Amino acid sequence: MWRVAGFLCWENGKNEMLRFYFEVARTAYRRQLIYRWANLAGLLTNIFFGVIFSYVMIALFQARPVAAGYNVQDALRYIWLMQAMVMVVLTFGWYDLMLTIRSGEVVSDLSKPCDFYWYWFSREIGRSAYFLLFRGLPTYLAGMLLFGLGVPGDLRLWLAYAASLPLAAMLGIAYRFLFNIVAFWVLEARALGGLATAIALFFAGSYIPLPFFPPWLRAIATWLPFNGLMNVPAQIFLGKLTGIALLFGLGLQVLWVVLLTLGVRLLTSVAARRVIVQGG
Amino acid sequence: MEAMIEAEGLSKTFRVARRRPGLLGGLRSVVDPQVRIVHAVRDLSLHIERGEMIGLVGPNGAGKSTTIKMLTGILVPTGGRVRVAGLDPMRQRRELASRIGVVFGQRSQLWWDLPLIDSLRLLRHLYRVPEKRHSDNLARLRNMLDLDEFLDTPVRQLSLGQRMRGDLAAALLHDPELLYLDEPTIGLDVVAKARIREFLLAINAGQGVTVLLTTHDMDDVETLCPRMLIIDHGRKLYDGGVTEIRERFGGERMLIAVLDPVEIAAIPHDAQDQPVLSDLPEGVHQVQAEAPRIWLAFSRDSLPVHELVAWLGARYRLRDVTFQEPEIEDVIRRIYEEGLLLGRDEVSVQVS
Amino acid sequence: MVCNILADFRLYLHLIAMQLRAQLQYKLNVLIDIVTYLSVTCLEFVPVLIFFGPFPSLLGWTVGEVAMLYAITSMSFGLAELFGAGIDAFDETIRRGEFDRVLLRPVGPFMQVVSSEFRLRRLGRITQGLLVFIFALSLLPGLNWTALKLAVLPIAIVSGALVFIAILLLGATLCFWTIQTTELTNILTYGGREMLSYPLTIYNQGLQRFFLFVVPLAFGTYIPICYLLGRPLPFGLPVEIAFAAPLVALAFALIAGATWRFGVRHYQSTGS
Repeated sequence: MWRVAGFLCWENGKNEMLRFYFEVARTAYRRQLIYRWANLAGLLTNIFFGVIFSYVMIALFQARPVAAGYNVQDALRYIWLMQAMVMVVLTFGWYDLMLTIRSGEVVSDLSKPCDFYWYWFSREIGRSAYFLLFRGLPTYLAGMLLFGLGVPGDLRLWLAYAASLPLAAMLGIAYRFLFNIVAFWVLEARALGGLATAIALFFAGSYIPLPFFPPWLRAIATWLPFNGLMNVPAQIFLGKLTGIALLFGLGLQVLWVVLLTLGVRLLTSVAARRVIVQGG
Repeated sequence: MEAMIEAEGLSKTFRVARRRPGLLGGLRSVVDPQVRIVHAVRDLSLHIERGEMIGLVGPNGAGKSTTIKMLTGILVPTGGRVRVAGLDPMRQRRELASRIGVVFGQRSQLWWDLPLIDSLRLLRHLYRVPEKRHSDNLARLRNMLDLDEFLDTPVRQLSLGQRMRGDLAAALLHDPELLYLDEPTIGLDVVAKARIREFLLAINAGQGVTVLLTTHDMDDVETLCPRMLIIDHGRKLYDGGVTEIRERFGGERMLIAVLDPVEIAAIPHDAQDQPVLSDLPEGVHQVQAEAPRIWLAFSRDSLPVHELVAWLGARYRLRDVTFQEPEIEDVIRRIYEEGLLLGRDEVSVQVS
Repeated sequence: MVCNILADFRLYLHLIAMQLRAQLQYKLNVLIDIVTYLSVTCLEFVPVLIFFGPFPSLLGWTVGEVAMLYAITSMSFGLAELFGAGIDAFDETIRRGEFDRVLLRPVGPFMQVVSSEFRLRRLGRITQGLLVFIFALSLLPGLNWTALKLAVLPIAIVSGALVFIAILLLGATLCFWTIQTTELTNILTYGGREMLSYPLTIYNQGLQRFFLFVVPLAFGTYIPICYLLGRPLPFGLPVEIAFAAPLVALAFALIAGATWRFGVRHYQSTGS
């Protein structure tokens, strides 16, 4: 595949590069197809956790029917959306880049003719597409079957969601890339990666819906990049973000995508320089 | 004194399910499995006395590893019976394990991240060797294998030759009566190979350790083993002395001479329009020709290599000269071609 | 036989000691590992606290009571993670083809597997459990302690840990047939831990029965806490049954052990 890359790069049209990245994404998608059984096992895990949190919500809402503008139906949908989206956006425990840094493969990757970040980006987009179809969709469907969730009828909500989810995926890719690339400088990157994932999940609403946060924590969480990872799309889906608030949410996502991507590119160029100087 | 290894009619059959592609295929494989029967080992009988050093030879997939696994208790035979050191490997696995040592050429038993010495010390507890005996053995093996220079290095940083020496020490620390070696010299350079062979001869002669050595390398067998077993397609083809086999099949090496095209034209050609060298020295004969290459087989005893090269060089303009060792597959093929084989035991294996 | 078990246990201690020594060579790394894991697990507990902001109670359970349940479950799981690390990593052993070597040693395969890994980082979760426990105590000043109530806690933790380890062993046995489904055991371990951190009664009958009578995690977590808090048990079970937890856990562990031996025999007849 790198031979194809080289060939395409010598042509050096924008078109060729886009075609190349598309191929990378498609290959990554196809590669994921092989792990059918592992995916099935993971799907069951998602569903199981969806079930647990659903019962917790039902029990909590028995004491109080509405909280923070959410009723039990909203909360259940939120829970299942989290389980459905988590693999699309964060793909738990992603250390692929870190592994190539450890093994030294990254040195040859960095000197390839194509953009380092966009290569990984395309790969992960391909995988996200796979997880959307084979994890996200079945997870939410299971939730619909088990707990009668239902979906929003308003087409505008679907459109807004369709805008928000890809942004969330891009945000997730940039974030994962960030906590992987620190392996260039930090030995214990793996442990820190675990912590980074946990923090992201917490502030994205995966452990507990963000609307239930105490107000002061909610205020902080709104401005963090993790908000855009899963909470914003979920709230859009539930119809809780409309009008100005919707634009604000999308805007925050875009802002953080830009900021994190800039951060990534900065760190990548620093790392690349270090590699050239030190020889890996 | 009972035999070290006694096997009768050993056989091992595997049922391999064919995996169908796709998700539906996977499900169909569970419901309606298409099973292929593989006879890895068929009716194998062995009798090995204490103190012998035996080579187990055969092409890939012949059933050598499967046989070793049955002898060590890793795998259960489908048929036949086997006793090693008087024990049943299946039922008395743990007891047998403390009396044998095993070295895999491609997989180490040492702990990857720990220094070699730590692995060796750990094995004392694993095999429950009394302290004094362990330290004596360790000292002796350190000396015989020259381990001191890398005793404190983590195993993952060792070269292949060093790691192999470490593995040998590890396998012998508990004074096993029987040592299995699976491709011990694979990937090693000539010097390292010689060293390992020297060591094996020493422990066999000095401590009377019975050694069963699986290998592809005919040189291993020739330098070490007075007796060898050839296994192919799960059957024992030959069980007997190495010198007989060598004289009949394995004694020949191949010299491949690439002649100058002008020379090729000048040489008389045969019916297939290939050059034929005539008046070759005694013990040398042409096997094959594909201009400009000519394959000449010669037995080691007939004439030294440099003389043959000199003889060729004097008569023909040589572009290149390379050598080929007899592959075990060639030996086996010739065994099949030649038909009848007589083993050291009364067992005669007739091959059609 | 007893001689074998004793010798195996001493071997276990040696192997663990060796791993500890190797890991402790990098003290800073170990510390970072433990602290990050502690942080992650503490972060996992925070939602429980947050839930009780907008909601007054969880099916009648107050925040202190849920925290207590959470703490016990966490400690059980942490113990299991610590000692069962080798079993958890068994899929790697099979993947690398190292099980042959295990069979070549004069030691039982289970002992070798269980002593193959010992990661100090798991202490992070046990610490979290302790911290949450102390926190729960501070929220339950009215709890009257008797000798029996004190005794039921360690019994609970050990029984729970035993069941978790048995689940890990069942998962490891599955590896003899396929290594693609190792995540299924995660459902029972991580999923089970999450589920049992909340009162069992919030779930439907089927799930309750499952974790009481099939995979008896509830015996090591929910039931002893009910005993402690003086709460009634589902299905009219007497609350004293908390003290039967070790027996139940042992029975489950023996079943897991038998399946493991079956798996080893399967490996020996089919290769890999």
